[in-house]
Amino acid sequence: MSAQFGDGLSLFGVRRMMEGVIPPTLCTASAEHMPNVSYLSLAEYVDPLHIALSYQFFNRSRENVLATRRAALTLDDPYTGAGVVLQLEYLRTETEGPVFERLRAKLMGVASHVGMAEVFHLRGADIYRVLELNRVPGRRELPGNAPRVDIATNSRCLSERMANCEDLAELLETFLQGLSDLLRIDHAMLWLSDASQSVLTLLASRGYDHDGAGAEISIGDGIVGTSVREGVPIRVGHMMNMARYARAAREGADALGFAPVLKCEIPLPGLQEPRSQLAVPLRARGRVLGALLVESTDDQHFGYDDEDALMLLCGQFAVAMSLMQPQEQEPPEPKPVAAAAAPAAGAGAPVRLRRYMRDNSVFLDDVYLIRGVAGAILWKLVGEFQRNGRSEFTNRELRLAPELRLPDVQDNLEVRLLLLQRRLAEQKAAVQLEKAGRGRMRIVINRPVILETDQNRRATDRPAS
Amino acid sequence: MVDLLTAGVAHQVGACTNAGRPSLCRGLAADVEADGRLLLIISAEAGREVLDSVRENGRIALNMTLPENYKSMSLLGRDGEVSFGGGVYRALVETRLAAFTEQLLRHGIPPEYTRAWYMADDEHLMAIRFTAYSARNQTPGPGAGSALELKR
Repeated sequence: MSAQFGDGLSLFGVRRMMEGVIPPTLCTASAEHMPNVSYLSLAEYVDPLHIALSYQFFNRSRENVLATRRAALTLDDPYTGAGVVLQLEYLRTETEGPVFERLRAKLMGVASHVGMAEVFHLRGADIYRVLELNRVPGRRELPGNAPRVDIATNSRCLSERMANCEDLAELLETFLQGLSDLLRIDHAMLWLSDASQSVLTLLASRGYDHDGAGAEISIGDGIVGTSVREGVPIRVGHMMNMARYARAAREGADALGFAPVLKCEIPLPGLQEPRSQLAVPLRARGRVLGALLVESTDDQHFGYDDEDALMLLCGQFAVAMSLMQPQEQEPPEPKPVAAAAAPAAGAGAPVRLRRYMRDNSVFLDDVYLIRGVAGAILWKLVGEFQRNGRSEFTNRELRLAPELRLPDVQDNLEVRLLLLQRRLAEQKAAVQLEKAGRGRMRIVINRPVILETDQNRRATDRPAS
Repeated sequence: MVDLLTAGVAHQVGACTNAGRPSLCRGLAADVEADGRLLLIISAEAGREVLDSVRENGRIALNMTLPENYKSMSLLGRDGEVSFGGGVYRALVETRLAAFTEQLLRHGIPPEYTRAWYMADDEHLMAIRFTAYSARNQTPGPGAGSALELKR
């Protein structure tokens, strides 16, 4: 894992000096040996022998590097005042891929921090081989800060708690609560990927004014969207202006033609002014199923140790989520339901449940609820309740229901049901979903419901009763 | 330029050997001397390689950046001369350190941290004098590297 350099140093061991609070300083020289010193926005650890530097402008440094392929770089420890100096050999410039994407996403945060957001465009990630790495002599180093928590031990504890969970709802609660209790991560969001819609849907959050279940962003937007698209963690330690970052992401979404999605959006939870963010992909079976986004109002709240720990925990969460299919029961034989035995919807003024067929978005009395698979499921359940008086359903029959056309259903159904359940609960909607045993769900309707679609203004004139 | 020198800038000093090996270190203080030459103080410990390169070919680059706004300029010289500085420059170093500390404090970086960079003993204070033949704007952005006019 680690190649040893001078003073017993390894590139891996000095990763935290690449956080960017104190900008890396680069010295290049012309072919005539005239030096040039400039600051860089970002340096990024690539592997034990390589480092990536942000390339934003064609300037003197760039000209020198292309001419001589040599550079010296200094990095300062943001905690102790220690410094290292590196001798570098330029190898190539990457304009795509995970290293480039990590740098690009971080740059957006850094750019706003230093008042240069208008020029945050990243042209490339310059990849250098590290020839030498030495400690800057003569520094009077300070003791490092005590770690926030024992990340390794507490992560193990959380991992064990997660391993004991028996269903997805328990797993989700255990994970989010454990982040807060054990790792002192008080603000977190879990996003799920819906590749068929090119969106991420918020499954749950912790530590905000509202939960925001069902909120959506486009894959590729912001650090969480980029983390999912590239399948890599992205950490920004000193974001000063998230609003500008969010606006940029929104403009990107508009440019990609997602305006119809945004019109029926659920407000995003989030800190007003986060100073640190870390997005970690949920990877299982070779796929990215979503991402965890954690944030803090403190600079440098998340270090490499957090990143490493959350990569492991998120991997465990993702595998458990994809495997956590309950022992499903066979669907009950359709049995005639006596009118008197049919479950009754509650009394009161009817509510209108409207479905837009294009994307299965569902509104309850003009309030956007959910869309996609979760929207289609809700429509089916309420419709079955109205037509046949059924209130209980097995997951298996939903999985096999042709009208739902579930994408990637092996991974998705349990998650979509949980998402739908959380969204309805958050809205305190007249329609609620609850577990009715292993592999079974029950729909609870507290008021009469009128079903409408955008194609047929009133699918049925008969309120559920 | 004098205003920038006294405003609490970070000094970064670059050099390069005749074999093409670049090096850099933090500077501790800079000033303009009566003859118009620039005086630069660096630590012999942290700046050993830079000092050796300047002794070899006189080529030197000094970058000065104001942390509060990243306003940055570089001065280039071809006639750098290294000499022992010693305690006579202690007052200048302390003055520049105080201004720099004030700058970094606004970014939440505590004084003891800044001091970790500046704790060179008197016997390690070295002076480099050079004539700036070129000045460049190094403020981050598309204009970085563009020439600035030098007034004589």
